[in-house]
Amino acid sequence: MGKQYEIPVGAQHISLLEPLHFKFTTVNEKIKSTEANVFYVHRGIELACCSKFKFRQVSFVVGRVCGLCSISHSTAYSQVAEKLLKIEIPTRAKYLRMLVIELDRIHSHLLCLSHVAENSGFEALFMKTMQYREFSMELLEAVCGNRVQYDFAIVGGVSRDLKPEIGRWILERMKTFMPQLEELVDIYQNNWTLSLKNKGIGVLTKENAMRLNVVGPFARAAGLAIDVRNETEDLLPWKEVGFEMITDTAGDVHARNMLRLREIYVSIRIIENIINGLPESALITETKAFPDGEATVRLEAPRGELFYYAKGNKTQVLERLKIKAPTFSNVGAMAETFKGNEYGSVPAIIASYDPCLSCTAR
Amino acid sequence: MKKIETTIEKLKSDIADYYKPDQHHFIVMNAVDLGEKMEIQWFFSDYAYPCDTTCFFAIVNPAEEIPSIKEIVVSAWVAEAELVDLMNIKIENTEKGFVLEPDFESGPLRKKK
Amino acid sequence: MMKTFFKALGNVLKKPVTTKYPFEQTYKPDDYRGLIGFEESLCIWCRRCEAVCPPGAIVFSQDMEGQQAYHYNRAVCIYCGECVRSCPKEGALFQTAEPAPCALKAENINNGWNKLFDEAIASREAYAAEKKRKAAAAKSAEVKKDTESKEGS
Repeated sequence: MGKQYEIPVGAQHISLLEPLHFKFTTVNEKIKSTEANVFYVHRGIELACCSKFKFRQVSFVVGRVCGLCSISHSTAYSQVAEKLLKIEIPTRAKYLRMLVIELDRIHSHLLCLSHVAENSGFEALFMKTMQYREFSMELLEAVCGNRVQYDFAIVGGVSRDLKPEIGRWILERMKTFMPQLEELVDIYQNNWTLSLKNKGIGVLTKENAMRLNVVGPFARAAGLAIDVRNETEDLLPWKEVGFEMITDTAGDVHARNMLRLREIYVSIRIIENIINGLPESALITETKAFPDGEATVRLEAPRGELFYYAKGNKTQVLERLKIKAPTFSNVGAMAETFKGNEYGSVPAIIASYDPCLSCTAR
Repeated sequence: MKKIETTIEKLKSDIADYYKPDQHHFIVMNAVDLGEKMEIQWFFSDYAYPCDTTCFFAIVNPAEEIPSIKEIVVSAWVAEAELVDLMNIKIENTEKGFVLEPDFESGPLRKKK
Repeated sequence: MMKTFFKALGNVLKKPVTTKYPFEQTYKPDDYRGLIGFEESLCIWCRRCEAVCPPGAIVFSQDMEGQQAYHYNRAVCIYCGECVRSCPKEGALFQTAEPAPCALKAENINNGWNKLFDEAIASREAYAAEKKRKAAAAKSAEVKKDTESKEGS
C-alpha cells in the first residue's frame, strides 16, 4: 500500500481553459477519490434578469452567459418568452435560428478537439485544428455581424436576414472544408502517439451514465442515446432538415473525439439542407402583450442539454428565470469518472468533458 | 409541461415510485419565492420521442427542512447545494458554502420586502 | 506514425497561415454591426430608443426651454441594433459598418458618462417640474381673473 497524497488541479492551471478546481486523493499516482469546486465565476445573472432588465432586453443579457454557446442561450430564452407571450414565430426565423445553432456547433466542437490534442501533448494537431476552424468564425461574422457575440435571436424572431450571396458563399466554404475534415478524422483515428494518451482513458460506462444523468457528447460516447434534438420537435423542426443521432460504445476520450468529428458531418448536412430549402416569410412577430404564466424549454447546446424555466407576472420584468447549463448536470459525473486513472492523464480527461464554467456558475 | 403536486412527507416515496434510471432523466431542481411561501420544483424528462417535461412541485414554508433525494437520484447534490446558498432554504444533509463565500449573506435571490 | 513525420517535414517548407494584421486586412463583411449614427433633423424626440437600449447607452437631456439633446456612449453600447429597430421614423437612427475607435483617457468615457447620465435624467425631471409649476400658476391666475370679473360685474 503506497502513501496517500492530496493533489489539487486548481483554479489556476497551465492546461485549464476554465476556472474549475479538483482535489485528488492519489496513491502512487492512481486517483482514488475527487472533490469538486466549481463556482468561481458566479455573476448573479438570474437575479439581474429579474430585477434590472426588461423582458425584451434579457435575450441580450443571457447571450453573454457563455462565449461559445451564446446563440443557444439567446434562442432558448426567446423560445421560453414566446411561450409566455403565446405567440408563434414565422418559419423563416425558425430555419435561420437552426442554421446559426449548427454553425456554432461546428466551431465549438473543433475548439474542444484542439484543446484535447494540446493537453495530450500533440501541439501541432492543436494548431492545425485551429487553422481549419477559422473559416467557421468568418462565416458566423458574415451571417450575424460579429465573430463571438451574435445578438441574433430576439423575442419574436431573428434580427437579421440571410442574403442569397452569403448562402452561396457558405456552401462553397463547406466544400473546401470537407477534405480538411477528412484529414483530421484520419489523424485523430489512426495516430499512434495520440492513441496512447486517449484510448482507454477516462472511461464512463453506460450504467454510470444513466445513474448520474449525464448529457451531451459525454453521454452519447458511453452509449446513452440522449439528444434533445431527437426528443422534441414542436419548436424547431430538426428531423425535417436531416438530423441523425450518433452514439458510440467505448466511453473513453478517443470515443468522444470521434463522436464530435462525426457530429460535424451531420451539422454540415443540416446547413446545406437549410440553405437549399429556406422558405420565404417575415422575420419577426410583433406583439404588445406582457409575459404571463410559467413555461419551460429544452435545447441542445454543443455541450448537452440546456434548460430554461421562466415565470411572468404581466409586467415588463420577469418574476423568476432559472437557467440549467449542460456542464451543471455533468459536474457529479466528472468527479466520479476520474477513479482508477493516472494523475498525468487528468488534463486530457478534463478537456474531453468540454466543461464550460461560465454557463455553470452563472 | 405536466405538473404533479406533492408534499414534504410524500416526496421521497413519490419520486422513488416514479424515477427509473433507464427511462427517466433528472434535469434540475428549482425554487420560486411566492412571498409568504416557496414553491420547490423537481424537473424530469424521458429518454424517448416525443417527450414532455414532468414537474413535481411542493408549496412549503421557507423555514421548513426539505428532504433530500440524493439516495434516489445521485446527481441531485449539485442542484441542492446551489439552492441552499442562493435561496437560503434548508435541505437535509446539505451544507452551505458551495456557491457563495462564507461571509456573504445567504439568500440573494429571495424577494426583498 | 511515419506519415505524420513526413507531413511535419513538409510543413517546414510551406508558408505560415497567419494573416499579418495590420499590414494585411482580415475578412470584414459590409454589414458588420458597427457604430450607431443619428440624424438630428429627422428625430421626433419620442425617446423610444432610450427605453429599449439594454445597457443604457443612449440618453436624452432637456434644457429649460424644452429643447432635447441626444447623447450616445460607444463604450457602453453592445451594437445590438434594438434602437434602430424601435425607431418610428426611418433614417433618424441607423447602424454603420465601422468598428468603434478606442477610447482615450481624456474622454473620461466611464465615470464621465455615469455623471452625464444622472444629470440628463435630472434635467428632464427639472423641466417637467417647471412646466407643471407654470401650468398651475397660469391656471390659478385665470381663476383669480374670473372671480374678479364676476365680482366687478
